Amino acid sequence: MLPLSMATPGEKQTIRKITGKDEVRQHLAELGFVVDSDIMVVSEVGGNLIVQVKDSRVALNRDMANRIMV
Amino acid sequence: MEIKIALAGNPNSGKTTLFNALTGSRQYVGNWPGVTVEKKEGRLKGYDDVIIQDLPGIYSLSPYTLEEVVSRSYLVNEKPDAILNIVDGTNIERNLYLTTQLIEIGIPVVVAVNMIDLVRRNGDEIDLAALSEKLGCRVVEISALKNEGSQEAAKLAVEAAQQKRAGEMPRVFNGPVEHAIAHIEESLQDQVPATNLRWYAVKVFERDEKILSELRLDAATAADIEQHIVDCEKQLDDDAESIITNQRYAYIASVVEKGVKKKAAKHALSASDKIDQIVTSRVLGLPIFAVVMFLIYAIAMGGWSISIGTAATDFTNDVIFGEWVPGLFDTILGAVGVTEGSVLYGLIQDGIVAGVGAVLGFVPQMLVLFLLLAILEDIGYMARVAFVMDRIFRHFGLSGKSFIPMLVATGCGIPGIMASRTIEQDRDRKMTVMTTTFMPCGAKMPIIGLIAGALFNESAWVAASAYFIGMASIIISGIMLKKFKMFAGEPSPFVMELPSYHVPSVGNVLRATWERGWSFIKRAGSVILVSSIIIWFLSSFGTVNGQFGMVDNLWEDESVATEEYVESVAARMGISADEAAPMDDSILAGIGNTISPIFKPLGFGSWKPTVATITGLVAKEEVVGTFGVLYNYDDQGGEDELGENGEQLWDRVAEDFSPIAAFAFMVFNLLCAPCFAAMGAIKREMNNAKWTLGAIGYMCLWAYVCAFITYNVAGVAVGQVAFGPGTVIGIALIALIIYLLVRRGYVPEEGTKAVTSVAAAAAAAN
Repeated sequence: MLPLSMATPGEKQTIRKITGKDEVRQHLAELGFVVDSDIMVVSEVGGNLIVQVKDSRVALNRDMANRIMV
Repeated sequence: MEIKIALAGNPNSGKTTLFNALTGSRQYVGNWPGVTVEKKEGRLKGYDDVIIQDLPGIYSLSPYTLEEVVSRSYLVNEKPDAILNIVDGTNIERNLYLTTQLIEIGIPVVVAVNMIDLVRRNGDEIDLAALSEKLGCRVVEISALKNEGSQEAAKLAVEAAQQKRAGEMPRVFNGPVEHAIAHIEESLQDQVPATNLRWYAVKVFERDEKILSELRLDAATAADIEQHIVDCEKQLDDDAESIITNQRYAYIASVVEKGVKKKAAKHALSASDKIDQIVTSRVLGLPIFAVVMFLIYAIAMGGWSISIGTAATDFTNDVIFGEWVPGLFDTILGAVGVTEGSVLYGLIQDGIVAGVGAVLGFVPQMLVLFLLLAILEDIGYMARVAFVMDRIFRHFGLSGKSFIPMLVATGCGIPGIMASRTIEQDRDRKMTVMTTTFMPCGAKMPIIGLIAGALFNESAWVAASAYFIGMASIIISGIMLKKFKMFAGEPSPFVMELPSYHVPSVGNVLRATWERGWSFIKRAGSVILVSSIIIWFLSSFGTVNGQFGMVDNLWEDESVATEEYVESVAARMGISADEAAPMDDSILAGIGNTISPIFKPLGFGSWKPTVATITGLVAKEEVVGTFGVLYNYDDQGGEDELGENGEQLWDRVAEDFSPIAAFAFMVFNLLCAPCFAAMGAIKREMNNAKWTLGAIGYMCLWAYVCAFITYNVAGVAVGQVAFGPGTVIGIALIALIIYLLVRRGYVPEEGTKAVTSVAAAAAAAN
C-alpha cells in the first residue's frame, strides 16, 4: 500500500484504504472514491493530482491524495 | 391541480441545459429560504399547470453542503409530485449513487440518461429496459444539448406524478444491513409518513444528525436502534456510513453490469485529459492562466481597440446617461411644468438620474465581463483555474476557490462577493467576502486616473501600484486573519470534479450572463437609488446666512448671500471669495468639516476629500464627480464636459495636494468600505449583522492603516513629509503588521471540526 500521491501517473490502481474519518471522506465516497474502486492519476502538479475515478476527473490537493492508499 | 416536478442531478450532468430546454424563458430565480443557495423554478413548456423545480447540482443527499440540505429538505418536506433525475450517461456509475437515494424517498422517479449521443459515439450501449427493471422506475435516454428526448422525459415525469405511485423499491441493501434497516423501519413507522419510511430508516442508520434531531426519538427506541446499528457495524467491521456507501456502490455495480455495455477500455486518456496535461501542468499552467486573464481584462476593461467593454461603457456614460436620459427627463419635466432650479428638478436630475446613471453606466462593461466568465465556466476552464491557483492560495490560508470571487471583483465587487458561495468552508468563505473588494473594481479606475493625472504625470505605475496594493492587502489580510482563533485552521482540502471540456452552449452562456447582469442591476439599482437621494439631499440643502433651503437658490439671492457673507464663508473654508461656492454651505460640507480631522494624519484632512470619500460610498466613481463640484468645475458655463478621469481638474487638485497626500487618499479610497451596493451584498452573504459590521470595520481600519503608513512613512522616505510623531507611529504599525504576520497563531486542537457552511447556516437560523 502506498499513498496515491506516490503512484505513477497513467497507471491503473485500486483503492485499498481511505484514512481519516470525517466529512471529507464521505464527500470523497460520493465522488466515487471507495475501497476496491479503480483509480488512475492523470496528471500531477507539485503534489496536487488530477485523477480518474469512475469515469470522472477529480482534482485533489496533496493532503487529500496522501489519505488515499492504493 | 398544479403538478410539481423536481429536477435533480449531479453537477455537470447537463441539468441547467435540460431545465432551460424544458422551461424556456418562463423561469423565476430566487433564493432558498435562509441560505444563499440559488433557487430556480419554471413552468414546463406546453403545460401551464406543471412547475419544474430545479434543485442545486448535488452528488448525494448527505447533509454536508448547503445545496444538499436544501435539496433534501425540499424533497422530503415539500413533497413534489415526481422527481426527474438527470444522469450523465458517460459517468453512469457515479451518477446512479444519487439516483438510489432519490428512489428511497418514495416519490415517483423518472431517470433521464443524458449525453446519450456521447455514449453512442464512445461505442457504449445502455439497456434502458434492464436499468428500468433493476431500479424500479422509468428510464429514458436524452440529449439535453441537442434537445432530443427532453420533452418526452418531462412528459413521463408528468405521467408518473399523475399516477402518484412510486415503483417498487430496489433491494439496495442486503444481509445484516437490510435486517437492521427493516428493524428501524418498524420502530419508526408511526412517526414518519409511510412513503418516506425507507429514507428515514436509512438516514437513522447512518446516524444523520439532522434527521435524528428532527425525529426526537424517545430514549428507549433510540437505544434499541443504536444497538442494532452497533451490532451491524461489528459484524461488518466498518462504520455505518461507510457500510451504506459501500453497499450502494456494490448494488450500482450490479445494475451497471446488467444495463451498460462499455466498449472502450477504461482508463484511456481522453482529449480532455490531454488538454489538462498542458493547461494544468507545472510549467505552463500559470502562464496560460495569466494570458487568459489578460485577454479578459483587455476585452472587458482595457483601453485598447479590442476593448469592447470599455467602449460600450463609455458610450453609455457619455451618450445615454450623459445626453439622452437627462435630455429626455428635461423634456418630460418641462412638459409637466417642473422648472430647472426647483427642488423636484434637482432631486430627479442631479440626484436620481445622475446617481443611478453613474452605476448603470457600468452595466455594459459588466455584461462583457460576465459573458467572458460564463464562456470560461461553460467550457470547463474555471474549475481548472481553481485547481491551478490552489497551490498558491494555500500559502496564505485560502483555497483556490477564493480566486474566482477576486477575479470577478476586478470588474465589480458585488458579483465578486456573490461568487464566494461556492466555497464550502464557512471561515474561508467569510474571509473571502471580507477581502475580495480590496481588488480595484471598475468604478475605482477614475479615482486612480484622477490622481495619476493630477500629480503623477499620468504614470501607468499608479494603476499598477493600485492592483499591487489590492492583491498585497488580500494576501497580508489572509495571513494575519488566519492567525486569529475565528479563522484558524487549514483551508478545506481541495476536492473538485473537473468537467470534460466542451464547446460552450450559446443559450447557457447568454442566460448565465443575463442572470448575473440582471441581479447586478437590481441590487445596484435599489441601493444606489436610495443612497443617491440621500447624498443629493445632503449636498444640495444647507443653511445660508441663517436661512435653510436649497443652497444653489439661496446663493443666487443676493439679499441672503451678501458679499460679506460670501467672504465669511471663504474665510471659514480657507479659500478666496471667488472660489466660494453654494456647496460650501451644504449639510454635506458641514459633515465633511466635522469629520475631516480624522483624515489629518493621512495628509488629506480637508473637507473636500472628506466629502468626496463620503460620496464614494454611493459609488466609487462619484469621488471624481464630487471633486468636479467642489473644485467649481462648471460644465455648463462654456467649458467642456468633465472628463471621466477629471482631466480639467488636474491643475486645481495638484495645487491642493502634495503627491504623497494624494496617493494616501487614493490608497484609502481603494481599500476602505466599498460602495453601499457592495456593502449590501456583504450583508446578504454574511447573513449576520455582527459579521457584516466586522467585515466593513476591518476594511476601513486596514485602509486607514495603509494610508497612514503611506503618508507618514513613505512620505518621509521620498522627502515630502517631515519626520514627526506620525512617522514613529507609522513604523510601529509596520512592526505590528509584521508581528501579526510572523507570530505563531492560534492552533486549533487536534480533532476539532471546522465549521462548514451548513453548520453556520443552521446556527444563523436558530
